Amino acid sequence: MWSFGLSFFEYKANRIAPPVFKGLDNYRSVLADSDIWERFQHTATIVVGSVAVQLVVGFLLALLFAREFPLRRYLLMLVLAPMMLSLSAVGVFFKLFYDPTLGFMSRFISLFTSETYVILSTPARATAAIVFADAWMWSPFVMLLVLAGLVSVPKYLYEAAEIDRAGWWRRFRTITFPYIRSLLLLALLFRTIETFKIFDVVYILTEGGPGSSTETVSVYVFRLAFQFFKTSLASALGYIMLFAVIVLTSLYLYAIQSRRAEPVNE
Amino acid sequence: MSKSPTHVIGSSGWSRTVGAAIVSAIYFFPVYYILMTAFKTRPDALAMPIKFFFTPTLDNFYSVFQRADIQGGGTTDSGFSHYFFNSLFIGGTSVTLALIIGTAAAYGFSRFPLKGNDTYLFIILTTRMLPPIIAIIPIFVLFRVFGLSGSYTGIIALYTAFNLPFSIWMVKSFFDDLDRDIEDAARMDGSSEWTVFRKICLPQVYGGLAATFVFAVILTWNEFLFALMLTGTETRTVPVAIARTIGGQVGVDWGLLSAIETLFIIPVVVVTFLLQNQLLRGVTFGTIRK
Amino acid sequence: MYEIRLEKLTKKFGNGLVAVDNADLEIGRGEVVCLLGPSGCGKTTMLRMIAGLEWATSGDIMIAGKRVNDLPARERNVAMAFQFYALYPSLSVEDNLAYPLHAENLSKAEIASRVARVSEALDLKSILKRRPHQLGEGEKQRVAVGRSIVRDPTCFLFDEPLSRLDIQLRQTMRTQIKEILAKLDKPTVIVTHDQIEALTMADRIAVMQQGKVEQVATPHDLFSKPANLFVASFIGTPQMNLIPAAIAEIGPKELDGSVNVKFAVLGETISAAVKGGVADLGAGGKVTLGIRPRSFEFVDNGTMDALHASVDIVEPMGAETLAHLLEQGVDLRCVVQSNVAPAAGERVAVRCKAGQLHVFNESGKLVG
Repeated sequence: MWSFGLSFFEYKANRIAPPVFKGLDNYRSVLADSDIWERFQHTATIVVGSVAVQLVVGFLLALLFAREFPLRRYLLMLVLAPMMLSLSAVGVFFKLFYDPTLGFMSRFISLFTSETYVILSTPARATAAIVFADAWMWSPFVMLLVLAGLVSVPKYLYEAAEIDRAGWWRRFRTITFPYIRSLLLLALLFRTIETFKIFDVVYILTEGGPGSSTETVSVYVFRLAFQFFKTSLASALGYIMLFAVIVLTSLYLYAIQSRRAEPVNE
Repeated sequence: MSKSPTHVIGSSGWSRTVGAAIVSAIYFFPVYYILMTAFKTRPDALAMPIKFFFTPTLDNFYSVFQRADIQGGGTTDSGFSHYFFNSLFIGGTSVTLALIIGTAAAYGFSRFPLKGNDTYLFIILTTRMLPPIIAIIPIFVLFRVFGLSGSYTGIIALYTAFNLPFSIWMVKSFFDDLDRDIEDAARMDGSSEWTVFRKICLPQVYGGLAATFVFAVILTWNEFLFALMLTGTETRTVPVAIARTIGGQVGVDWGLLSAIETLFIIPVVVVTFLLQNQLLRGVTFGTIRK
Repeated sequence: MYEIRLEKLTKKFGNGLVAVDNADLEIGRGEVVCLLGPSGCGKTTMLRMIAGLEWATSGDIMIAGKRVNDLPARERNVAMAFQFYALYPSLSVEDNLAYPLHAENLSKAEIASRVARVSEALDLKSILKRRPHQLGEGEKQRVAVGRSIVRDPTCFLFDEPLSRLDIQLRQTMRTQIKEILAKLDKPTVIVTHDQIEALTMADRIAVMQQGKVEQVATPHDLFSKPANLFVASFIGTPQMNLIPAAIAEIGPKELDGSVNVKFAVLGETISAAVKGGVADLGAGGKVTLGIRPRSFEFVDNGTMDALHASVDIVEPMGAETLAHLLEQGVDLRCVVQSNVAPAAGERVAVRCKAGQLHVFNESGKLVG
């Protein structure tokens, strides 16, 4: 079963070797290519931006939903909805939202600025647009994780703190935060890994534009492979990505193991 | 007599509901927009500022399945029902296969620790984590070589392979949660491993299997890249069809698009609602359970 | 001057459950009162109401003369040790002990010295830097108690403090806590379901059942003068023997108010001197006789005022032996010194020692 997975690796090796037997040359040219680094930068910007927003928004949402209240179940569904959309739909529709004439977001922003605001016009704005869409879609994920942590705090700890007359900040710092800390870390790693690979939304929204300012590594690989037919280069780059992902995944797994071992509970 | 006590994780009243409702509404708005648009006529859909009050129409939903013939009268089947079928069929089959194999594997991983266990599991998880981009190239070629492009067998096999890691991780977590004492008792009574598996462990994880099935289907449901590259006209799934719908047409029919997406996420929504408890486990691939 | 006073305290939950029913209790300065009773009797709820973690439905809670019903826990200045210790898992023992002191405006030096004092008293010095998950049950319990005494509260509240310890530890901790409480001289309420704990640690005990306070008395009085059937059977191990009987004959009243009454019990007649109240029930009145296992003495067969029965099971308990006697389907538990214990199958006679017979009327109240 897992050997099927391994076979992925083998076949990639085949790709690099037969057509042009250049060995490591591909890797060298990939790493030397300044374009690549630019793309990594773009990806990094998006990852950092989106994940940061997700952590904050997710955390706040979790606080909101921490206690039981009437209709909680249904409102929770509303907030989880963004995660359930297909990536292509998000891409397509946000493109509409950002459209200068037809999109309500552009119109909304125009209320604050003088002229019609074209969201996807400059690199900065386009990146922000991607970050916004991605963060919107995945913040509920972070919320779920943090919520799990919040709810697992034993009630009697808060009671003891009440008896001990601890203030809200102290309570948060000493009781709440240790419980959610590991989960936040997990959310951080998980979303970082996933956002690193981001493709669908970027491709549909901006196709890497304007120019190539929002082109992420994934999109670049795609281009290389299918538009320029530099398959071997693309494969090499793909491998590098894979390596990065493996490193991140190891971190993720490590974090999980240590969470299992962490005796925050009695 | 009573103020309410400062219990933190306890019940709150309607004041919180109002606050949460406002926040949820704002957050949900884009989705609501899509839903609304599904029911709007073409001019309504494009109107700015947003038309909140309009006469709803089901035309878009009809259009999903029928499409007006460009020349002459009458309507032809747009093929969308076929695409929906494809998504269901391909998704369902691949997940079922993955689940069957995966359950057996998960049981093995859970009950029989081998020395290389962690390594295997690591590789499996990585397979799930890797960027689809890099796998697409060799797979694409592979398919061409074997003539699997555009065939059902090919894409189902591929999705099965994709869903395998996920299934294994999820189901393994369910097996791990089981109480071993019953199994030990059965073993002492002379049952074979197979019987223990079939009669004791398996029945207990049926719920987990169902949840895994559903989550895997959802993941496969929304899958885009591989479907794009590897399905032909006959086997196309809905996400690809959506993308194709907007490419190369005179203006985008947003109403139609919304209707498609709305229909598309209904299964996901229903399922999420029913499986709220398992949600956390599903979304983190079985690594975290409440 | 009573430091804690509960008047007609009642707690009703939303689903109709009455957890505490019209309870009255007074606790004096420096007094240790135990709330004793089976699970679900309302003792923990009552404790939590005193602490301020639950609101009272009706009645009054007075601490140091002030009515505190509407005050949240943090303003009542009470100290509580929880059943599950509730130690802050992310903090070291030292920080756990110092935690409540941050609410008072104390200097770092003052906090440090108080913590040092408490860790000295409870022998926590060696584990100050450890975290709760690294501690054993006994150590956790001492830290929980330590956290309470590091402050200067109006009272101490302990919720099942020893329930999670093994027997050895329990005995050690019982003595230790008793010493500490004596020194601190503050009203203390301890909740427990273990009567040994209550009997050894408390100045007075409030026995509770289903939300009602059945009796409040010193351990001695609870043992020798239980107010009703529940208290009588709850207190004392092995359990008191409760035997249905009827009044056969009432003798004349003596000078000290006692009466000699003949009881028809287990097919025989025994007579005993009991309080006058028994006579008021009249001849033929149905009663329940309460005789503690150690109140029996073995006598020769045929002795007057003795009950005859067959020995069913004999359980050696070391220096003492528990003999189960069977007569007319009633199990009589008798505890005697092992060297005079009967053998199974023997037919024996037992008699209740003078002054140790309890008589309960039909509604379960003690009358004599």
